[in-house]
Amino acid sequence: MNNRLETFVKENRRSFDIMEPSPALWAKIEQKLDQKKEKKPIKLYLWMSVAAAIIVVFGLGWLYAGKMQSGEIEIADVNAVYAKKEVQFAGLIIEKRDSLAIFAAANPELYKKFTADLKKLDEEYERLKNELPTSPNQTFVVKAMVKNREIQLQLLKQQLLIINQVDDYKKVNQI
Amino acid sequence: MQGSRAAQFDLYKLYAKAMYNVALRILNYEEEAEDVLQESFLDAFTRIVDFRQETTFGLWLKQIVINKSINYLRKRKMEFVSTDEVSEVPDEVSFDDYDTRLQAEEVRKAITELPDGYRVVLSLYLLEGYDHEEISHILKISENTSRTQYMRAKKKLKSILDLKGMRDE
Repeated sequence: MNNRLETFVKENRRSFDIMEPSPALWAKIEQKLDQKKEKKPIKLYLWMSVAAAIIVVFGLGWLYAGKMQSGEIEIADVNAVYAKKEVQFAGLIIEKRDSLAIFAAANPELYKKFTADLKKLDEEYERLKNELPTSPNQTFVVKAMVKNREIQLQLLKQQLLIINQVDDYKKVNQI
Repeated sequence: MQGSRAAQFDLYKLYAKAMYNVALRILNYEEEAEDVLQESFLDAFTRIVDFRQETTFGLWLKQIVINKSINYLRKRKMEFVSTDEVSEVPDEVSFDDYDTRLQAEEVRKAITELPDGYRVVLSLYLLEGYDHEEISHILKISENTSRTQYMRAKKKLKSILDLKGMRDE
């Protein structure tokens, strides 16, 4: 085995490093180093902006989540059409209830029964309203709420009709 | 950490030439070697905090230069493992005949005429002083491949020098 090449290179190692980089290269490196120095403060500024943006986003998210949890969500937040209907029904319901109350004095037994039925529906409505903020399908809940109002209204209409007939019957009998 | 500009220039003066030759031997192109040199010094100066005193600054810088050079070379899609690899290992080449006329400059020029894969392995082993295990890590090849490539590179180098010798006579 012969290692003349290895020996030769070892002995003449310096003769192999004879090429020179161009003299302008240091100037280029220096220029790049200067650029890097200037970049630093800008980078820090950028990071601070990013951090600030993150804080703002989290802050807003927290506020929104807080609002959700406080149950402030309304039907109008979910669906404007249903909200309009709901308001309309609610108005009519109050109106009919007032009418019904007029007959209350004359028919206390009947009135008691009617209000018990209405109370059940009212409880159901409150339950739906509490469910609304956390429900995965809010449109569905809102639909149910409006339907509840509609049923209340129809029930009241029937109750009014019945109470009117009862009243008429009593009046006729009195005569 | 930025280190003073004067200290950086001192380091540059001390190592630029040697590192340039390291890069040039791997890449064979002066422009690319200069790009590598520039990037390596910038890297070294900006990452000087990472440098641990376990090795010398020169060895650390050399690692950066070699890694960058290999990356440049890979971009040119160089294959370190030739297709007809593995099988035969060439005989050890004798440089006895060249005992007297072997000139450093001739050998240096002959090395530049080697194909990329041969040239890189031969340069790393013969001139940068890495062993085959280290070369296998640097080039991500097996140790055996490194050995085979080196043997072949030597054989090829001899044939290039032979041709030159014939031309000279």
